[in-house]
Amino acid sequence: MATHEEIAASLQAFCEGYQNNQKLKLMNRDWNRIIVIKANDIDSQHTLTLHNGELSLTQGTPGQTADLVVTSDSETLADMFYGDITPTEPYMNGTLVIQGTEDDIVRLDFISLMIWGE
Amino acid sequence: MKRVVSVSLGSSRRDHQVLVELLGEQFEISRLGMDGDFDRALAKLQQLDGQVDAIGLGGIDVYVYAGNKRYAFKDGLRLMEAVKTTPVVDGSGLKNTLERETVTYLLQNTDYIKKGTRVLMVSAVDRFGMAEAFATAQCDITYGDLIFAAGIPYPIKTLQELEEIAARLLPEMTKLPFHMLYPTGKQQETRDEEKTQKFAQYYQDAEVIAGDFHFIKRYLPDKLNGQMIITNTTTAADLELLSQCGAGRLVTTTPVFEGRSFGTNVIEGALVALLGKPWENINPVDYLGIIKQLDFKPRIIEMVN
Repeated sequence: MATHEEIAASLQAFCEGYQNNQKLKLMNRDWNRIIVIKANDIDSQHTLTLHNGELSLTQGTPGQTADLVVTSDSETLADMFYGDITPTEPYMNGTLVIQGTEDDIVRLDFISLMIWGE
Repeated sequence: MKRVVSVSLGSSRRDHQVLVELLGEQFEISRLGMDGDFDRALAKLQQLDGQVDAIGLGGIDVYVYAGNKRYAFKDGLRLMEAVKTTPVVDGSGLKNTLERETVTYLLQNTDYIKKGTRVLMVSAVDRFGMAEAFATAQCDITYGDLIFAAGIPYPIKTLQELEEIAARLLPEMTKLPFHMLYPTGKQQETRDEEKTQKFAQYYQDAEVIAGDFHFIKRYLPDKLNGQMIITNTTTAADLELLSQCGAGRLVTTTPVFEGRSFGTNVIEGALVALLGKPWENINPVDYLGIIKQLDFKPRIIEMVN
């Protein structure tokens, strides 16, 4: 089991990976989304906000409705946002649940792979 | 009589059957759409295994390519592995030969393609032979893989960048359900209005629009301005649609039987049946040789707008 702080640190690493990738920022200029990250085994919630290609991280839930809600156990979330595992396998075996449109799910997978992919 | 059956994840509304003679051999070629039902496709493949001379997998890619790397879709492999006896193909062997030759043919025999021609390939990894041929011809190419498969408004402009992005994405994305990346079943009968509007400019800026027809159709804007479309699997109704939209010319890469341009998987199935070799032993030279014997040439249809 990972702690809230470990999930926060993994999300911070994910954001830094994103910010360092200029091409990724360019690719996502059209995709303004609020993404909530929730652990289902500990009390831990974070919000990723994408706006005009810029990604920011805050603790807790947003004041407005989220476009995507990503839920999994704390260990999977930390591993995934650190890039130790890809989201595809936990998503396909049901460990990772993403509520949102299929197009948005593909897009989130794409961002993760562009940061951490081969 | 040899029998070749294409089992497609696409709509059953496009089902058809023809009798043709190829190199003195009679063929019954049919296409069976499974309306996006994966389990039904699996059952149909198991039922046909050992009963026909070759099977084509339609409406799904098994293998896609970028550079020297080949990536396999998990869903496509599951379908392919359901067939134990009969040769089963997805059309990728023919895409690497016949479709490459189509561009070469147009370069050598027409003035439709030249250095600098603006080409939109709606998806290149599923037609890498054609993508390379356009690059060799020094066309100004936009590879629309990210735009149309993932909804990301980022035109890839070089084969090198396509290969780099493919190497990052495809090892994992090929594990996703195929319908998340490609229109299957009923999606093939409808247009994605939001993306069509958002991405219309890519169609309108191009002189040539090439690639998978289901992609082309799903994002086809109301108005084109005389573009040449290079594709296959078109029906008479598709021709009418392209004409109404203002396309100038249609080039089909596969032969037309009874008014219908078949998918590469069907034609590759027929060629495998003709070659009589195990599929894994067939190489591009075999395909090119038999394509030459059959005198397959692209079909060019001028549109009346």
